Amino acid sequence: MNYIKRSIIAMACAGAMITTVNTAQAANWLMLQGTETAGTAARANVWGFVQLDYQADTSEPNSTGGYIPPKLLGPDLNTQHAFNVSRARIGVRGAALPLDDKVNYFILLEGGNNGITSIDGSSVKFTDASITLNHIPGARVRGGLFKYPGAEEGLQAIHVFDYINFTEVSNQLLLERFPNRVHPGTNPAPCDPTVTPACNLNRFDSPVGAFRDVGVQLFDAFKFGNLELSYAAMAGNGNGLNFSDNNDKLDTYLYLSTEWLFGSGDGPFREGLKFFVWTQNGERLFDGNNDGTYESYDRDRAGLGIKFLKKPWRFTAEYMKGEGMIWNGPDKATWALVPAGDLNPAHASNGLLAEGTGWYAEGGIYIPGTNFQVDLRYDYYARLDGSQYQLDWKAWTLGLQYHFNRKARVTFNYAMRDVNATSFAAGAGPNANLDGIEDRYGIQLTTIF
Amino acid sequence: MIKWLGALLVAATLSLGVAMPTFAADKEKKIALQISDGSGETQTLILNVANNLQMHYGVDNVKIEIVAFGPGLRLLFKDNDNGNRIAALSQNGVRFSACQNTVQGMAKVLGHPPALNKQAIPVSAGIARIVELTEQGYTLVRP
Repeated sequence: MNYIKRSIIAMACAGAMITTVNTAQAANWLMLQGTETAGTAARANVWGFVQLDYQADTSEPNSTGGYIPPKLLGPDLNTQHAFNVSRARIGVRGAALPLDDKVNYFILLEGGNNGITSIDGSSVKFTDASITLNHIPGARVRGGLFKYPGAEEGLQAIHVFDYINFTEVSNQLLLERFPNRVHPGTNPAPCDPTVTPACNLNRFDSPVGAFRDVGVQLFDAFKFGNLELSYAAMAGNGNGLNFSDNNDKLDTYLYLSTEWLFGSGDGPFREGLKFFVWTQNGERLFDGNNDGTYESYDRDRAGLGIKFLKKPWRFTAEYMKGEGMIWNGPDKATWALVPAGDLNPAHASNGLLAEGTGWYAEGGIYIPGTNFQVDLRYDYYARLDGSQYQLDWKAWTLGLQYHFNRKARVTFNYAMRDVNATSFAAGAGPNANLDGIEDRYGIQLTTIF
Repeated sequence: MIKWLGALLVAATLSLGVAMPTFAADKEKKIALQISDGSGETQTLILNVANNLQMHYGVDNVKIEIVAFGPGLRLLFKDNDNGNRIAALSQNGVRFSACQNTVQGMAKVLGHPPALNKQAIPVSAGIARIVELTEQGYTLVRP
């Protein structure tokens, strides 16, 4: 918690140093996703993207022949080899009255098969529905459903993401799953569909948060020569893609970035060196001890990072920390990884009051004179950090991309994974299931229109 | 015979001397660029064309006037994202004409006249300005 408080104080100090100079027109993630370029916005610009993939997981079952979620492909968690239309999004954005393009809108619909659409059985779901007001210099206002300011891996546009899958730390610590608000004792227990056809390992009843929230954000970017400073402050429901709130507690988000612009590239590929820091704080209601009443649990996240792009080279590194509401897997829809009958939220294996810490570093090169790009990533995540049940997730991911053109590419990834419970011997405790988590590879075709 | 040839040579030299400035003036290009739609792509294109013309002929050898009317007037809005490019082209002699008929029409929609780029030179009617320019020997191009 001290870490998060220190981050907020540092951000407040940095924020106080920002003075309004000239409003930057160059794009960054805050600007790109919902803000139209002044004087050129269309009334309605239809756009979208499709991502098709084939993935294979080489993990081995446990000693009784059963599988756990990390050994199966999401979101369905019932196979180790599958083609999937992982994303199919179509949206419209623009300025309703182009003559007065200070009012912008942005809507985006997801129809692919992923954690957004599959969990609650809906086949199509809005991921974005926002309105941005650009009337006040230095204080743009965005309201609605949109990406909250935060970690680079979540804030960036997914269709230009260089890998097929998120890092484990972003996937588990930041990509929020929303608890079934009653204790699993009153829910069907998760079970392995590879053994029993009627079973389901995914017991969440709400879609993933998709790094989004419904709320209001104040933000802008300021240029001082080649230096660009950006800020964002947001208050939201803290209820992900759901349009309304489910408690009376608002989440708060703060974000600061400073970027040295090299003067070339544009949009997602603007070249520069960026430093950023962010925090998120909220509360979640949940019946953690199965006494029939809700308790409130803190969910705090913070992080910082660096991003560099100057073709042919690029590099990103992020560090992230979380306290409370630590996700313990899709079969643990209650954040609990608790021995049978133990209803103590403070138990060492329970995520409700636990911590998580992780980081990743990745980089790549656009091979000059070719359409190929090579990427390499290492990521680490300590789930239930510091507890007896801490799980260490480590992965090296090698990537190769071929760009057919600026709007279409194919991506190949090979991920070498190593997961274990650090306090337990091989085959003991959680390792009885974690042993056997092996490599995963996949190929993905992306086209943007 | 020699004197006659000498006289012919002098006459030819003189005529060349007189003709040279006329020849240079004829070589100066005059281009009117029309922008009458409001898309961002057209705005980028017309600024690219102006820039390319200056690079091709040389800044001092081509006169360029961009006439904006109808939805194309958005190019000359004060907060247009192309402001820096417009300023740079203006410094190199490109003239930007803003149709006042369009300004008045937009004022009715907005409730106030749109704020224009300081490089914009008001002309009473954009289309009439294009007619004037063509009468002055400008080549009309609508990218």
